[in-house]
Amino acid sequence: MIWHIAKKDFLLNLISARFIVGTVLCLLIIPFTILINLDDYGTRLDEYHIKTVEAKNQLEQTRVYSGLRPVIIRPPNPLSLFSNGIDGNVGTRVKVDFGNIPALPEGKASQRDNPFLNSFMSIDFIGIISILISLLALIFSYDVFTREREDGTMKLSLSKGISRPAFMSGKILGIILTLMPILLLCYLLSIIIILVSGHTSFAPDQWVNLVFLFVFSILYMLVFILAGAFISSMVKQSSTSIIISLLCWIWFVFLTPALAKNFAESLITIEKQDNINYSLIEINREFWDNLHNEVSPRIEKELGMYDRDRSYWHASGGQDGFFETSGTARDVMEYERRMKAETEPIRIDDADKKWIIVKNRLDDLYRQKRLQKNLLMLSPTGMFEMIASSLCQNDEKALDEFMEDVREYRETLIRHFETNEWFSDLRYITAQPEDEIASTNEEKNRIAATGQVPDSWSNQNNPVLDLEGVPMFSHASTRLLPVLLHQSLLFIILLLVICSVLTILIAWSFNKYDVR
Amino acid sequence: MLQAIDLSKRYEDGVLALDALNIEIKEGEIFCLLGANGAGKTTTINLFLDFIQPSNGQVLINGIDASKKPLEAKKHVSYVSENVMLYGNFTARQNIDYFARLGGKTNLTKEDYYMHMREVGLQEIAFEKKLKTFSKGMRQKVGLTIAMIKDAPNILLDEPTSGLDPKAASELMQILQQLKEQGKSILMCTHDIFRAKSIADKVGIMKEGRLVMVRNRKEFLDDDLEKIYMDYMQEMVSAG
Ligand SMILES: Nc1ncnc2c1ncn2[C@@H]1O[C@H](COP(=O)(O)OP(=O)(O)OP(=O)(O)O)[C@@H](O)[C@H]1O
Ligand SMILES: [Mg+2]
Repeated sequence: MIWHIAKKDFLLNLISARFIVGTVLCLLIIPFTILINLDDYGTRLDEYHIKTVEAKNQLEQTRVYSGLRPVIIRPPNPLSLFSNGIDGNVGTRVKVDFGNIPALPEGKASQRDNPFLNSFMSIDFIGIISILISLLALIFSYDVFTREREDGTMKLSLSKGISRPAFMSGKILGIILTLMPILLLCYLLSIIIILVSGHTSFAPDQWVNLVFLFVFSILYMLVFILAGAFISSMVKQSSTSIIISLLCWIWFVFLTPALAKNFAESLITIEKQDNINYSLIEINREFWDNLHNEVSPRIEKELGMYDRDRSYWHASGGQDGFFETSGTARDVMEYERRMKAETEPIRIDDADKKWIIVKNRLDDLYRQKRLQKNLLMLSPTGMFEMIASSLCQNDEKALDEFMEDVREYRETLIRHFETNEWFSDLRYITAQPEDEIASTNEEKNRIAATGQVPDSWSNQNNPVLDLEGVPMFSHASTRLLPVLLHQSLLFIILLLVICSVLTILIAWSFNKYDVR
Repeated sequence: MLQAIDLSKRYEDGVLALDALNIEIKEGEIFCLLGANGAGKTTTINLFLDFIQPSNGQVLINGIDASKKPLEAKKHVSYVSENVMLYGNFTARQNIDYFARLGGKTNLTKEDYYMHMREVGLQEIAFEKKLKTFSKGMRQKVGLTIAMIKDAPNILLDEPTSGLDPKAASELMQILQQLKEQGKSILMCTHDIFRAKSIADKVGIMKEGRLVMVRNRKEFLDDDLEKIYMDYMQEMVSAG
């Protein structure tokens, strides 16, 4: 019985203008969206390759331990072709710096906006699906009951002795049957375009995620079908129904997500990045003060080189603790070695201090995000996009997981330095073979005067570090499907609850529907 | 068998559309319900089909209370509405097929449908044409086919001849006559006294929700039905 009604509606819908328009719309918009995203993904992938090679070369050319500060590039995720998530809001480059614990990748992130908050204006597959499918669902469901009433066919149908719940189920099933091919088409089309483009392919677990994404799209579609059907069961006229449906659509698809973002931003204030920077600079200043006023004079005194000029042959350095010298006399090198041995641990301690400040702000960003997520429970669209970006692994959790791994790697690297006593190793500051180092400044000057300076007096002529045994960064998402589903569980349950409640409401409301 | 026992209907807005109506239509009997616009004819039919709930009294179809066990009761009744509305984008055959299945007839073939459509006199070329191209009379015939295919022992018709040309109307009457001979109970609401006279076993005149007169065939053939009808209407006008 239900099946006959569903089949009838499916057949009628297939030849309806709205079905054709809907399909054509999907056929136009989806490839367009996917092509834009493919292009963007290609750019990001190229950028990733270039930056990775750059980082690798840089690492391999490192000659001293103080220069061993790997740069990590976050690879683009193929699933971001479906949902951009927050990937577009954050950069991809993280430098493993001993003086700072990295909070977010550098790059795009503007310092004013919270990069975790989805803007909902992004043109990605999921964004388009959430708009198109909800619209199509409403356009097919707003008149499920009113149309049959207006056409007078409902009386005849119900006179046949079919129960109202059965009639209602058949009608709703009919819409589902109609929209499923469109939804499936959208997915197949985009997957085919992606695979044909050859830019990327999906790993088996990503295929599984895609399947789940499809399943949740059905759930999302169902919410709007049921919502439209409910509206249809509450009014007599299709014209009333479409107006209410469209208003609901605008409210849930556009306004609620936008309001969720605005509310989250205004209810939780985030410390200005400038203020944070000020505090960080303060800690840095103390570090340098201590280094210049306390540590340096003490070591000079201990080495008996107080008020004597330290002269360097070839030296380069940086704010991050990097220092490399060659050709410089052994006692000056000793001074530098001891400086590093004493100050690098302080630098690492300072990083922990700075982290407290930075993390405070980071936590606030996450709090804002959580508030936004909670507010998004008011909109099926918001929930669907949250589930999608979680499944596509480019939500704030995925980023956090990556950054956690980077921070852990930094700890590992520091421990490696400590256990090998690299901070107090001469190699920390010079790659010059020890037997070619002039023992005193006088000797250095004497050799220099001959004009026969050894090659090893120049930094770039010295051997690079053997990286064997140095821990390398690796990141693999530990968030497999069960975890991802668990994280979106609340949203999934909520969507299911909404569906059930709507079904009950429709059944209740249609049961007393005046068929005349 | 169709029965209305002390049947009353008061609409939400307070209009008393039916006031203690009593009708009984036996097997093989055609009951024509006459009455001015707003007399309560359609209301009566809607009560039999459980489209609305009675305020008082009972509607029984083959003894089954239509408002208590509507699904059970509706198995035994076919319905042709005043203005047969079907799915315009389906052909006549598709429409008939759909409603036949809804009525539980799932084993019929195309040939069966064609046969029934021929029976009601629908032109052969219309069988596979979309309903939206049909005239009112053609739709009415398809509606009748749908009612006949259900093959229920009771038939409710709401002004089935309105909009039909005389030939179609008289064909319809012939079909109803056949159905009656098959032992169906038929309730036909109509304004068409002429047709009612030609076919009815009983005629009832409704006024303001009350059945003010019932005559069996012998009685109304002796009297001048039209005059009786007019007299009753006249009263209403003078009373109103
Ligand atoms: N939904 C409704 N709400 C309130 N009153 C109604 C409703 N439907 C019908 N009525 C009233 O009930 C009375 C009977 O109406 P009904 O439709 O049964 O008349 P009818 O005999 O079928 O008339 P017609 O010959 O015009 O078809 C009328 O007074 C009408 O105004
Ligand atoms: Mg009427």
